[in-house]
Amino acid sequence: MHRLLIANRGEIAVRIARTAHRMGISTVGIYSDADATAMHVDSVDIAVSLGGTTPATSYLRTDAVLQAALDTGCDAVHPGYGFLAENAEFAQQVIDAGLSWVGPTPEQIRLLGDKVAAKQAAIEAGVPTTSIIEVDGSNAPADVPMPALVKAAAGGGGRGMRIVRSADDLADAVAAASREAQSAFGDGTVFIEPYLERGRHVEVQILGDAHGDVVHLGERECSIQRRNQKVVEESPSAGITDEQRRALCDGALALARHVGYENAGTVEFLVGADGTVTFLEVNTRLQVEHPVTEAVTGLDLVELQLRIADGEPLPITQDDVRVDGHAIEVRVVAEDPAAGWLPSTGTLERFEIGEGVRVDTGARTGTEVTTDYDSLLAKVIVHAPTRGDAARRLARALRSAWIAGVATDVPALVAILTERDYLAAETPTSYLDEHPDVATSTGPVGDDRVALLLGAVFANEYRSRTTDRTTGFAPSGWRNLRTIGQRQTWTDGETAEHVEYAMHGRDAAEVRIGPWPAPTDDGSLSPEERRVVEVRLFERSGSTQIIEVDGVRHRIDVLSSGDTVHVRSAAGSATWTLEPRFVDHDLVDAGGGPTSPLPGTVLSVHVAAGDHVEDGGVLVIVEAMKMEHKICAVGDVTVAEVLFGEGDRVDAGDLLVRLETPDE
Amino acid sequence: MPIGTPLRSRIDTRSDDYLANLRAMEALWNEVAAELESVPTVGGQRYLDRHRKRGKMLVRERVEALVDPDTPFLELSPLAGWGTQDAVGVGIVTGIGVVDGVECAIWGTDMTYKGGSSNPTTWFKVDRLLDVARRCRLPLISLNESAGADLPRQADLFINAGGQFKLLTQLSKAGIPTITVAFGPNTAGGAYVPGMSDYTVFVKEQGTAYLGGPPLVKMAIDEIVDEETLGGAEMHSRTSGLSDHLAVDEMDAIRKVREIIAHLGWRKLGPGATEPADEPLYDPAELLGVAPADVRIPFDIREIHARLLDGSRFEEFKPLYGDKLVCGWGSIHGFPVGVLGNNGILFSEEASKGAQFVQLCNRTDTPLLFLHNITGFMVGTAAEQGGIIRNGAKLINAVSNSTVPHLNLMVGASYGAGNYGMAGRAYDPRLVFSWPNHRIAIMGPKQLAGVMDIVARNAAAGRGIEIDDEMEAKLQAQSQALEDQIEEESTALFSTGRVWDDGIIHPADSRTVLGMALSAIHSNTIEGATEYGVWRH
Repeated sequence: MHRLLIANRGEIAVRIARTAHRMGISTVGIYSDADATAMHVDSVDIAVSLGGTTPATSYLRTDAVLQAALDTGCDAVHPGYGFLAENAEFAQQVIDAGLSWVGPTPEQIRLLGDKVAAKQAAIEAGVPTTSIIEVDGSNAPADVPMPALVKAAAGGGGRGMRIVRSADDLADAVAAASREAQSAFGDGTVFIEPYLERGRHVEVQILGDAHGDVVHLGERECSIQRRNQKVVEESPSAGITDEQRRALCDGALALARHVGYENAGTVEFLVGADGTVTFLEVNTRLQVEHPVTEAVTGLDLVELQLRIADGEPLPITQDDVRVDGHAIEVRVVAEDPAAGWLPSTGTLERFEIGEGVRVDTGARTGTEVTTDYDSLLAKVIVHAPTRGDAARRLARALRSAWIAGVATDVPALVAILTERDYLAAETPTSYLDEHPDVATSTGPVGDDRVALLLGAVFANEYRSRTTDRTTGFAPSGWRNLRTIGQRQTWTDGETAEHVEYAMHGRDAAEVRIGPWPAPTDDGSLSPEERRVVEVRLFERSGSTQIIEVDGVRHRIDVLSSGDTVHVRSAAGSATWTLEPRFVDHDLVDAGGGPTSPLPGTVLSVHVAAGDHVEDGGVLVIVEAMKMEHKICAVGDVTVAEVLFGEGDRVDAGDLLVRLETPDE
Repeated sequence: MPIGTPLRSRIDTRSDDYLANLRAMEALWNEVAAELESVPTVGGQRYLDRHRKRGKMLVRERVEALVDPDTPFLELSPLAGWGTQDAVGVGIVTGIGVVDGVECAIWGTDMTYKGGSSNPTTWFKVDRLLDVARRCRLPLISLNESAGADLPRQADLFINAGGQFKLLTQLSKAGIPTITVAFGPNTAGGAYVPGMSDYTVFVKEQGTAYLGGPPLVKMAIDEIVDEETLGGAEMHSRTSGLSDHLAVDEMDAIRKVREIIAHLGWRKLGPGATEPADEPLYDPAELLGVAPADVRIPFDIREIHARLLDGSRFEEFKPLYGDKLVCGWGSIHGFPVGVLGNNGILFSEEASKGAQFVQLCNRTDTPLLFLHNITGFMVGTAAEQGGIIRNGAKLINAVSNSTVPHLNLMVGASYGAGNYGMAGRAYDPRLVFSWPNHRIAIMGPKQLAGVMDIVARNAAAGRGIEIDDEMEAKLQAQSQALEDQIEEESTALFSTGRVWDDGIIHPADSRTVLGMALSAIHSNTIEGATEYGVWRH
């Protein structure tokens, strides 16, 4: 193998290129128009433009990808994960073109990719599993025991998956899952299996060579998931017994041997609260979470994949595999957990992740985060002697992470890594549902939050004074007759904070935090109940403010962007925005209504002008980041005008449907 | 190369003398500070509450919302009216503030004090601001709501006050924008404040303007009409055209003013700060203890220079000649200034040296700063025979006809013709600020009482009256009473109450205040005089 086409983007393309280069293999990347300046394009030796911006018009174009490999003289194709990774036809085309396919054989992909067939194979291999109910077309079968799980026969990653707790909801779930599967994988086939409440998601990494040898590299636990998508992954699992571990690993090996598995794959299980081990499916590709296995085994899975694809025998036997210490990976995603993990888009104005950890990423400062591709920004992996050590180190690294420009799950990840049940390994797949506080965690609290707020306030004050070309010589906010200080309202997107400050000289201020006294009904002012904070300022600059808040010193890194100030301290980071002093009445008077919560595409419109819709009725469904978002009526409304049609692109905040006002 | 070389202070700020004086000055300042603190609420709690109950902002809240965040605001004459029948501040705010990066002259009426009505001191205070706006070329912003004239006081007001509308249109003629917001009533003559302005903003359901209110209309032509129809914001915005912008609320009106300023594309005409603007080597905060609280104690005026000028640098002119008038060049926050400061009374040498220095600064278009600590011109046979009148006339000729901007800082006494020679209030300084120890009168109270005593004794002698013990006691009591009266009428508070200055400032703020004054001055051109009156050589 001399030249490898990496048929992917983002962090996995970067990660594959790293190993390939270390092995002396040159790399060819591919990119869409949207990714023309992406990090993964810079990390390969040469890259080929595919055009397009959506997956369908770029990375999913099998003909163009194969042509790129042929045109650039590649002798192998690594598909990464997602996109074409589990596309058996594409694998066959690659092989037919005389290139090596870094992955299992097309037959294995086809067999194991069909979850129904995979179940059959598992049963044949003696792997314990539950029965499944096949679904004919999109007709929901009757008499399905609840709770049940509707899953797409093709694909993975939680897409096309629905948990159903009431038989009444089954038909809707089947239809939605089928539609999502059709959109994501081009195959709308779904099936139903029993849903194990409070189970754990545990999976086993397997590797097989073309010579019939198969090993497993231990298990990973990936129970903490939002919308069936993994958030925290670790190896080994802290929540299973040695006996369960043996059952899992032996089962995975048996299945791999049964199908003669080649290359890297993952056998996924659910471990029920009652201890039962149940086969779920096989992922015939490199997993997102493979780095935790690499950390504890000391192996490079991509290197092993490439050697296997090149026909080499497995360089290790099962006895060589040692699991050392504990590794945890978290997925830093551009999503807002507090808003139901809604995708967040924008430009990364700052992208830094703490030191002493492995960071696999395809993003950097300046990267544009759109809804076109996955929301994954980075995987942060730590390896430590014990699980507690790993969690502590990872939390510290995440606290000092500084990602500005989009909302991320970093505060939620820190909350998980420091949460009692997590540290006690009480992590069923329902963990996030059972710990709603985790998702609403917005980062530092108490005085750490106040320090970040004041860091933003005085960074802004500093900028305001240093850019005053008229009276910049004068002390900040100087008055010979003072009545009130500088009053400002700052918001972190969740809460508004009222701040009033008066500078004493250039490096000290008295700050009051809280709503300032306002006139009451009789005209007198409401009582003064604000917190008074004494602030001293040291070493001020546009990028750093060292600020002492009531005698405690904080170093705040600052990044200002208009009236928005991104701040980071040792306690974490935050983004504060100064509310405008004046309301632009001309704009406000334009009126409100049902708006798109995020940028995306209108999937379906459920109303027409003149329709009366009851409270909660669906108006429009917007698809963004492969998720369907229902835009529903609030209160009983009458539709005056539908402003977008199916397939239209919409931006966050766009008014989708104009409603009649009551007096119209 | 920066102007001048650093001065060296001889004051030991840890000495008992310095600290004692510092405490005395602090006590004087505390009196001023207490008066300042009372100003924003002179209207009384009942009227403040009533104003807020109507959803209205206090005048200083409006100013705070108008000026740019974190910028300074220099309120002028905040204690106008002190010691008079009117409340301190006289129900009006005037000052210099920065709006969208533009230094503006701003005034606003305090509706909580006598309904924002004008009394003679209000008029005088506004007149002073209009003068500052005109001579410094500052856009004028009027935040107006007023019941009109304080009618019982009309005799002292009516004739003069009308000139304000003339001044408004003359500002406009001079290319200085005038912007008025009607936050409340603008009645009768007051209606000409928006009427004479370039731009007007009326607050919806709040601002009104009419020559005669509903009662007067009923009296005059027997028409019954409500305020909104007669002169409401909507009517003036849609029908009469007096209002250019109808604002949704007060904050919206202030936003509109900021928009208007933004579109002016305002550019200052002066050269601006051209010198290095480093801090003095000696802390300006020490100024509080530098000048003696008792103006009869002499001190070296250069101790002020050392704490006022950039880098404490001063290039002294003629240091060996006429050394009681210290003249020289320096800069404040980068703005070059020629500084004249008193180190004693004015002799012939001092007067002619000062005249020459004023001419030199006019030749280079350099603004002048007068640091007053002057008890007067020298008297006596030797002085008269030496031509003190002739030489004093040179100084008065020079300062009278000088056309570079003048600033006065009263750091001690300013008595007699010394005040004139130092280009005092009557000589049209752009701005005058006083320290709390300032004393001002035609002469020192003791001297004045002594002169009157001699006159009385001479008169008695002329009538052949012998001064017995009883008479002696009476004369002494008379003299003491007169001295006490003059002492009271010489204080900084008495002076500022009559708008003889533009405000008493904390000495430590001097650099900031003078910097703001100089910056405002540089909004206009700075051109020195080439012609003077006939010199009496």
